[in-house]
Amino acid sequence: MITKIKKRDGREVPFNIEKIASAVFKAASVSGGKDYNTAMELAEKVVDYIESTHGKKIPDVEEIQDTVEKVLIEAGHARTAKEFILYRADRTRTREMNTRLMKVFEELTFKDAKDNDLKRENANIDTDTAMGTMLKYGSEGAKQFYEMYVLKPEHAKAHNDADIHIHDLDFLTLTTTCCQIDIMKLFKGGFSTGHGHLREPNDINSYSALACIAIQSNQNDQHGGQSIPNFDYGMSMGVAKTFEKGYKQNLRKALELLLDKDLGEEIIATCEAVNNEQNLKPALNRMEQYIKAEKKHLQKYISDEVILDKAQAFAVKKTNAEIDKITYQAMEAFVHNLNTMHSRAGAQTPFSSINYGTDTSHEGRLVVKNLLLATEAGLGFGETPIFPIHIFKVKDGVNYKDGDPNYDLFKLACRVSAKRLFPNFSFLDAPFNLKYYKEGNPDTEIAYMGCRTRVIGNTYDPSRETINGRGNLSFTTVNLPRIALRSNKNINIFYDELDKKIDLIIDQMYERFLIQAKKKVKNYPFLMGQGVWIDSEKLDWEDEVGEVLKHGTMSLGFIGLAECLKALIGKHHGESELAQNMGLEIIGYMRKRMDDASKKFNLNFTLLGTPAEGTSGRFVKYDKKIFGEVEGVTDREYYTNSFHVPVYYHINAIDKIKMEAPYHEMTNAGHITYVEVDGDPLNNLEAFEKIVRAMKESGIGYGSVNHPVDRDPVCGYTGIIGDTCPKCGREEEEGLHFERIRRITGYLVGTLERFNNAKMAEVRDRVKHM
Amino acid sequence: MAKMNKQIKVAGIINESIVDGPGIRMVIFAQGCKHKCKGCHNQHTHTFEGGELVDIDKIISDLKKNTLLDGVTLSGGDPFEQAEKFATLAQEVKKIGLNVITYTGYTYEQLMGYSSERKGYKELLENTDMLVDGPFIMEEKSLLLKFRGSKNQRIIDVPNSIKNKTVALIAI
Repeated sequence: MITKIKKRDGREVPFNIEKIASAVFKAASVSGGKDYNTAMELAEKVVDYIESTHGKKIPDVEEIQDTVEKVLIEAGHARTAKEFILYRADRTRTREMNTRLMKVFEELTFKDAKDNDLKRENANIDTDTAMGTMLKYGSEGAKQFYEMYVLKPEHAKAHNDADIHIHDLDFLTLTTTCCQIDIMKLFKGGFSTGHGHLREPNDINSYSALACIAIQSNQNDQHGGQSIPNFDYGMSMGVAKTFEKGYKQNLRKALELLLDKDLGEEIIATCEAVNNEQNLKPALNRMEQYIKAEKKHLQKYISDEVILDKAQAFAVKKTNAEIDKITYQAMEAFVHNLNTMHSRAGAQTPFSSINYGTDTSHEGRLVVKNLLLATEAGLGFGETPIFPIHIFKVKDGVNYKDGDPNYDLFKLACRVSAKRLFPNFSFLDAPFNLKYYKEGNPDTEIAYMGCRTRVIGNTYDPSRETINGRGNLSFTTVNLPRIALRSNKNINIFYDELDKKIDLIIDQMYERFLIQAKKKVKNYPFLMGQGVWIDSEKLDWEDEVGEVLKHGTMSLGFIGLAECLKALIGKHHGESELAQNMGLEIIGYMRKRMDDASKKFNLNFTLLGTPAEGTSGRFVKYDKKIFGEVEGVTDREYYTNSFHVPVYYHINAIDKIKMEAPYHEMTNAGHITYVEVDGDPLNNLEAFEKIVRAMKESGIGYGSVNHPVDRDPVCGYTGIIGDTCPKCGREEEEGLHFERIRRITGYLVGTLERFNNAKMAEVRDRVKHM
Repeated sequence: MAKMNKQIKVAGIINESIVDGPGIRMVIFAQGCKHKCKGCHNQHTHTFEGGELVDIDKIISDLKKNTLLDGVTLSGGDPFEQAEKFATLAQEVKKIGLNVITYTGYTYEQLMGYSSERKGYKELLENTDMLVDGPFIMEEKSLLLKFRGSKNQRIIDVPNSIKNKTVALIAI
């Protein structure tokens, strides 16, 4: 007689035959069965069988279920048996999923980030904090939900097997990646963050504050980074307004002191009149002309010409001095704010990028100069600002040569980058960027988002090959080394497999797009609700966003071209010309597949050199399990970033630049080339500038120079620190650790402890090119 | 024998460096040094026994391949212990339009004094654009100096110093 059964968790509970009968009845009812008595008879048979085989041993759940299957089949209830088996499998899957998820939650809860790679997946989220952990619970829970119920099984399988990596899977059904925010358009007439309206800003301080708020608000609507592509053009208007306001105030004060009379209203009226007559305003340029015109008007109220001259001269001088200082303070606040403000439940600083360098107006130049100086000075204790990512747009005729109007800013950008790792440099003259460029229209100047994302071409609407309001929708990375290893050095098999994976990824990204397209404006209150995304201002709150999203891109990414080539022919592209040619062929082919897909769907499919923070370690871990340790392929803890020559390989900087440049042209969704420098480039700006110039001349689209940036938190020295601080002579063992800032996947990270395991290994292996 | 003259003995070569003089430079570390400065960074370069022989032609051909280079830095060891051969190398380097920086443990004045009696000293000096001179002195050490180890060391504009017969310093 069975009295107890053993549950899965080991507890023994009273046996109840009704439970078996009810499970059988449920299985039978799927195929139309209505007879509970038969179910009970079958349950009794199960009990009989177990009693005859088990004796006094307490049966467990699995044994009972095995017996149910057996009895059903032997009694000729084949269809019910099948349903029962399916039901059982489904329960098992759900149970395992719950266990797995709970296991993950347990680790998130009770382990420190330093002991848990999962918690360090993204180096800029502090998962030791409450909000950081909460973010991770949500993220891990969402991922498992999508894998079970949303993704097509073949997509989920490919992702779980590490054939592909679906990036930002936790946001699969929620939003899109990133956006290039046109602050000029956003600020016009003001905007709302959902809790009240912000008026159009009227001075540079408000411009800077609102730019931060725009980035922060948009960050809460998307899972990727936020970029301002026209920072100098946008901010310049704030400087102009500040100057005008400041001049009028200074003139008013001067006249009041000299004449003992308040002429505030007369000054404003004069300003308007001059503007109407001659299109002149108090401004950094053409000020002499304005003064002359203004004088004529003001003489109506002021008879003493000497006093008037004196007051005007004072106001000009004073305003010129003030505008520089005010702009510096505004830029300083901008940088400080972006490093302190949080989004996403307070767990993450917004991933912000700003592009600038081409605005040649006095105001725009003043913005960039002071932004760079504020960045050079660093944060409150002189720390290197992690955000925003700065991208200096290099353009021949604008800032590249001695004599170009912004050449001084280019030089300054080099100096600041030599100290702070930012700005990076984008090259508007690279042919694939230049083809979009229309002089005088910043909306056609290539911009990059942070880690490397690039959105400008537009198959869906070729008349809108522009920057503003557009971004990436999603991206998925293919595991290239895996395909190479599978193909066993047979290039035909390689391409067949590659084709299949690309088909799969196109299908997966398109599916994701269909989900994103069903979202409504109200799901993105800032991005769509405030008209940040292109054409979203034409939509209503309850409208679906599918049509306007078509201006965005879906990107196929790849990592480990180097390991792929190693697996195919034993050498990577840094080592052999043959490998380089093969590499170009493979990546060129992938690009062609994206162009074809764009035409087929009339959407934007693009090719990305994936930065791969988490993926670089994940792929190789799986591949090591399958293929063992393959020399040059799976024998490190990471796969090489996109098309890069491996970081451990010794190569001259110029050779690396030339080797990687042709891939920039092919990867229309984004790319970056780094040169690693050992030593403090601040002591050798000639060398630094030369590297940047070599990038430009070689057809690189986007590049940067990596160098160690260390800081002694005690004396504040920033530069390279070995064991001893060069400034105060303190040894590291004596107290606080020196801070060591390094760049991973395009973002700076303040301490090495926040790197995930694979990236720690990669940083360790990086050889300096000089 | 002709071949021998075209070889120098080096402790090592760095293809590209930004810490051994302005711009991007190839650095050639001579093997062998008599100064034996206390606290020297490159102790293993002191002995005249070790190192390897490298063809000057090979160095020149490597230099031509790297379009990013501004010049060559002769370091060590002390290049003046192989003055003749390093002078030949420096001459070849200048011919292809690159500049030459030489590091030495001797002072400029000592080198000028020896230049009539010791072979190659004059030629190596004449083909050096910038000389970093003097021994490394522990007590004068500073990590904040550009391109130098201790404060006694000077960065000298050699062509101008020879022309004006007085040491012309370069402020870096």
